[in-house]
Amino acid sequence: MLRLENLSCGYGPVVAVEDVSFDLPERSSLALLGPNGAGKTSTIMAIMGHTTIHGGRILFNDQDITRLPPVKRVDLGIALVPEGRRLFTDLTVEENLTVGGYRLSVQRDKINRQRVYDLFPRLSDRRKQTAGSMSGGEQQMLAMGRALMTEPKLLLIDELSLGLMPKMVDLCFDALAALKQDGVTILLVEQNTTRALDFAENVCVMTSGSLAFSGTSKQAKADENLFDVFISAAHE
Amino acid sequence: MYYVDLFLNGLIFGSMYALMAIGLTLVYGLLRILHISHAAVYALGAFITVIVANATGSIALGMLVAVVVSAIFGMGVYRVLYQPMLRYPPYVAMIASIGLLIFMEDAFRIIFGEQGLTFTRNPYPTQIHNLFGITINTVQIAMIVLSTICLVALALFTTRTRMGIAWRATVSNPTIATSFGVDAIKVRYLNFMIGSALAALAGGLIALLNNFVEPTMGFVVSYKALAIIVLGGLGSMRGTLIAALALGLVESFGTIWVGSYLDRDALAFLFLIIVLMVRPQGLTGAHA
Repeated sequence: MLRLENLSCGYGPVVAVEDVSFDLPERSSLALLGPNGAGKTSTIMAIMGHTTIHGGRILFNDQDITRLPPVKRVDLGIALVPEGRRLFTDLTVEENLTVGGYRLSVQRDKINRQRVYDLFPRLSDRRKQTAGSMSGGEQQMLAMGRALMTEPKLLLIDELSLGLMPKMVDLCFDALAALKQDGVTILLVEQNTTRALDFAENVCVMTSGSLAFSGTSKQAKADENLFDVFISAAHE
Repeated sequence: MYYVDLFLNGLIFGSMYALMAIGLTLVYGLLRILHISHAAVYALGAFITVIVANATGSIALGMLVAVVVSAIFGMGVYRVLYQPMLRYPPYVAMIASIGLLIFMEDAFRIIFGEQGLTFTRNPYPTQIHNLFGITINTVQIAMIVLSTICLVALALFTTRTRMGIAWRATVSNPTIATSFGVDAIKVRYLNFMIGSALAALAGGLIALLNNFVEPTMGFVVSYKALAIIVLGGLGSMRGTLIAALALGLVESFGTIWVGSYLDRDALAFLFLIIVLMVRPQGLTGAHA
């Protein structure tokens, strides 16, 4: 479904990601791991169309989307839950979802909205509340809900568990598992390595802008050197 | 009933300030530009109202033409003046905006004359009504009714329609709103269109009340509108409305109590200074 071929990207002339390739088949899930500054977020932002591309290609269902504007990627079925959530903080829960479904008809909006409320009953209780006044966990749910309003086939999630209480992390991962069950392909950037390995079947590990490991979660768990990658990177 | 009259008078002036200042707030919220030449749009609205009313004999038609032409003019200001400057720091556009205000004032002077214009037939400011013991003239009633309609319509538009919600989302986070398919350019035109239409309406109504328009009528109002959006917490529509009404009331009561020491306009800025000393984040504490 998604294929990165020798992708190099960054912000302006700065190169944050160099020569990264991986393949994400339909209905699969991939965890992108690595220390801070390894280029995980830049990789995700490149898939969404928010970075400068320095080389390589991004293919979505065999279509070259490397230079496509972000909106067109949303139309193709790619959605982003950005790092730090980046909600419309002074808009209510309902209104945030409205913006999420902006490209679709009012009928589709209604159906998708109900689906989001079914997945996150907490959001349904807080429909009229402004996004900025909710807890971190609720905000993360709303960020996911907003992305789901676009009817994505591929969901990109940047730091799902960052700053959340363990109970909220459980709720968010449960929702993610339900989406995976429904056939949504998921690319997850996560600093909680254990959680990510339990959730995703495939893993890529990045260090300083390049891939250091690529394989299944089982292989990753068995590979003791992998933890050295994190440790050595942390000491750099 | 004297104080009730004063109170009402303050609210009426406040509502005009609100119509004027909301455009400024909208532009600041979206582009972070202080749209000083908004005051010229207000004066333009006043001039067009008088000219069309005198030519056709219909004040209502004059206002309608003023609102439509000013809305188009406002969008033109964005397209011609601001859009090419968006890649520079916001003060560049602000300086250009001050330039446009001065240019427009002189253009009004050259085209319409130094002395200003009056309506040839305008009986409304002198039609006095007594409603429940309150003294009020026809123009003031029109001001209350029209500003209430406009502000309620704006509130409904921005909270009940998809386009209005998308507009607020763009103000909140332009990059993310765009990535969900909101057309940020369309939002900007909409912004200038609505803001300019409201300012032109305020200009037309003030012209009607004073039965007079002059080239410099926008100048003091532009300062006050700036004071209002700062008081309102920069970029907050609700804050702007509250600050505008508060300023109207302060002026109304202030001219009675300390009017012999201080000019009405000086009072406005004294109020601004005092409020900002006590509450630097503005009256409502909204953060921009």
